Amino acid sequence: MSAEFIAWLYASSLSTSIRDMLWVVPTVQSVHIIAIAAIFGSAVISDLRLAGVVAVDRPAREVIARYYPWMRNALLVLLATGLIMIIGEPDRVLVNSTFWLKMALVIGAFAVAWSIRRPLLKPAPGGPQSDAIHPGIKVLAWLSIALWCVVIFCGRWIAYSI
Amino acid sequence: MDIQSLLQTLQDTAIATLIRESDTCFPALESLHVIGIALVLGTIVVVDLRLLGIAAHRPGALRLIKEMLPFTWAAFVTCVVTGVLMFMANATTYAENPMFLWKMGLLGLAGLNMAIFHLGAFRRIHEWDTDLPPPTQARIAGFSSLALWTGVIFLGRWIAFV
Repeated sequence: MSAEFIAWLYASSLSTSIRDMLWVVPTVQSVHIIAIAAIFGSAVISDLRLAGVVAVDRPAREVIARYYPWMRNALLVLLATGLIMIIGEPDRVLVNSTFWLKMALVIGAFAVAWSIRRPLLKPAPGGPQSDAIHPGIKVLAWLSIALWCVVIFCGRWIAYSI
Repeated sequence: MDIQSLLQTLQDTAIATLIRESDTCFPALESLHVIGIALVLGTIVVVDLRLLGIAAHRPGALRLIKEMLPFTWAAFVTCVVTGVLMFMANATTYAENPMFLWKMGLLGLAGLNMAIFHLGAFRRIHEWDTDLPPPTQARIAGFSSLALWTGVIFLGRWIAFV
C-alpha cells in the first residue's frame, strides 16, 4: 500500500464525505457488529454441533446447512462495511499492521470453516441422514471458534495500534 | 453519599484506575464485550426468528429456547462483567453520556419484553411448539426483541462518538 495511493484515497470525495458526515462511521461500525454477531453466532452453533456439544440429536448436515448461508451472507456484509471504513479512513487502516493481521486471520478462519463444512454441504454418499464426520473435526471446530475470537480481538485493537 | 461522589469513588478504586491507565486492559475488555455481544445477539436472533416463524435447526420452539438460553446467559454475564469494569474506569463521564443512558434504558426494556413473553405465550408453548408461524403474541415478542437489541448495539457503539 503506497503512501501515494493512501493520500489519493484520503483526498477522494467519497472518503471525505464518509469522514464529514459524522453519522456514517458509527452507523457502519454498528452494522459491522451486528454482522459479527451473525457470523460468530452461526459459527459457534454449527462448530459446537461438530464438536458434539450442542444439538447432538439433530443430524450434523442439517445444522451446518441451516447456518452456513448466514455465515456467508454475514461475511459479505462484513466486507462491505469494512470497505466503507477503509475508504473513510485509509490513513488509519491501511498502514496498520493489526489490520493486515486481521485480514490474514479472516481468510484463515473462513478457510478452516469452509474446509470442515464443505464435505457436509455436499450430498452424502450414504444418504441424507448419514453423518460420517472426519475424526479430527472436533479439534478443527474448536480451532475455528478460537480463530474467530482472535479476529474479534484484532478488530478492536486496530483503533489502538496507530 | 450522592450519585456524583459515588461515581467518583468507583472511578478512584484501584481496579478502575488500573483499567484506565493500562494500554491493554480496556481494549481487552472491549474485545471480550464484543465476543459476548456476538453470542447474546446471535443466540437471541436464532430464537427471535423462530418466534417470527423462521425455522432454526430443530422444529420444536421449546427445545430451541432451552438449548440457546444457557449460552445467552453466559454471554450476557460476560457483557455485564466487562461492561461494569469499563464503566468503573470512567464512571463520571459515562453517567453523563446520553447514548450510555439510553442503552441502559433499552436493555431494561429488552429484559421486560423477555419477562412478558416468558409469563405469557411461553407458558402455553406446548400448544404452539411446532406451529409455523407461532401465535401473534410470540411473534410480537420476537419482533420487539430484535428491534430492542439492535437498538442496544447501535447505542453501545455511539457511546464513543458523543
